[in-house]
Amino acid sequence: MGMPKSESNQPNAAREARWRKLMRAAQDGDRAAYSMLLTEILPLLRRSVARKRQGSADVEDIVQEILLSLHTVRHTYDPNRPFMPWLMTIAARRTIDAVRRNASRSANEVIVDVLPETFSAGEAKNEQDIVDDQEFLRQALAQLPDGQREAVELMKLKGLSLQEASKATGKSIASLKVSVHRAIKGMREFIDEGNRRR
Amino acid sequence: MKSEDLISRLAADASPVKRLSHPIWRAAMWFCVSTAYAVVLLVGTGWQKNLSTQFSDSRLLWGFSAAMLTAMMAAAAAFCSTCPGRPLWERLAPFPFLLFWVASTIEGCRQDLALKGSLPVDAGLQLALPGKLLLVSAAPAVLILLMVRRGAPIAPYLTTGLSMLAATAIGAAAMLLAQPHLSNITLLIWQILPVIIFSGIASLFGPRLLYWSTISDLREQGH
Repeated sequence: MGMPKSESNQPNAAREARWRKLMRAAQDGDRAAYSMLLTEILPLLRRSVARKRQGSADVEDIVQEILLSLHTVRHTYDPNRPFMPWLMTIAARRTIDAVRRNASRSANEVIVDVLPETFSAGEAKNEQDIVDDQEFLRQALAQLPDGQREAVELMKLKGLSLQEASKATGKSIASLKVSVHRAIKGMREFIDEGNRRR
Repeated sequence: MKSEDLISRLAADASPVKRLSHPIWRAAMWFCVSTAYAVVLLVGTGWQKNLSTQFSDSRLLWGFSAAMLTAMMAAAAAFCSTCPGRPLWERLAPFPFLLFWVASTIEGCRQDLALKGSLPVDAGLQLALPGKLLLVSAAPAVLILLMVRRGAPIAPYLTTGLSMLAATAIGAAAMLLAQPHLSNITLLIWQILPVIIFSGIASLFGPRLLYWSTISDLREQGH
């Protein structure tokens, strides 16, 4: 037998009141209140996105996008209005945007069952050579400064677009482009140096 | 990056924000500024008519009122659509007035047909009307688009379409006063239809005009 509606609504009403108060304080510049609010809404956002994107690996990425969007439009919250509809509208909107973006990206991808083989000018690489090369690339990546490495990891390894990487890191698109360019130059110099020693 | 780390970064970045004014207040501000602009434009182009004389023509009165109400409600709907969590029905507010505007003009066409046996066409004027409408509506359109950008881009297509509807409706209302003798069929085809078409075309540019800012964009804007 379920609880009477009035009883089940009481925790929700208390939570709503608490979040409204925290959001109002956050808008006034209270960083502790803001941090508390975002931490408390995080599980709710994860559940909400996971429900819509069942089995998807990008739930956490979408949740982070929602947090970023909430941050950029926090001035639009009216303290005289309920907090949950405001939050869930942003969450729903960003989830739809992420789904559309993934769909258009997938439409341009081709699934290849058999990877094309490549051969160097001499003999084909054996498995040990491939492992050695991967380790060498890891070392090339590891020797980069943090900012450059983060840029390469987000854009070249995780495949984020410039805009997505900019949102994730808080850096401008121009700054990310410079970081990637310098990172690739640095890795190339490291690899060339390594090949000379070999 | 972990979400918990992102939260720490966002909290560290959080400065006090200036809350957005109520959407109705913002719509009212836009409406007043745009109306004043339309009046200045009318006076600048030599309009010196007596309003009470003009509004004694019921056809003009209905058309003008419908256009102004459409503009007002479209502006209010546009601003409401940038506030997350507001009721969805607010976005539909201008459509009954737009429908009334179209219906009253169609009724005028029907009366013209019944009275004169044919629909009077204003030769030579038609093709210039949509262009004039765009020119008159340009400044109100730019102003409202700048204002709605302060909100959240949760419905970019709809917000842009409603903004353009508001601007072109006010432009059409001003043109009604400037050229009160245009026939109903001319108004329907060369003024009201372009209002709807321009709004539809503008809405397609929604995502390009209204998009989510990044943190670095906000830093540059001084938030």
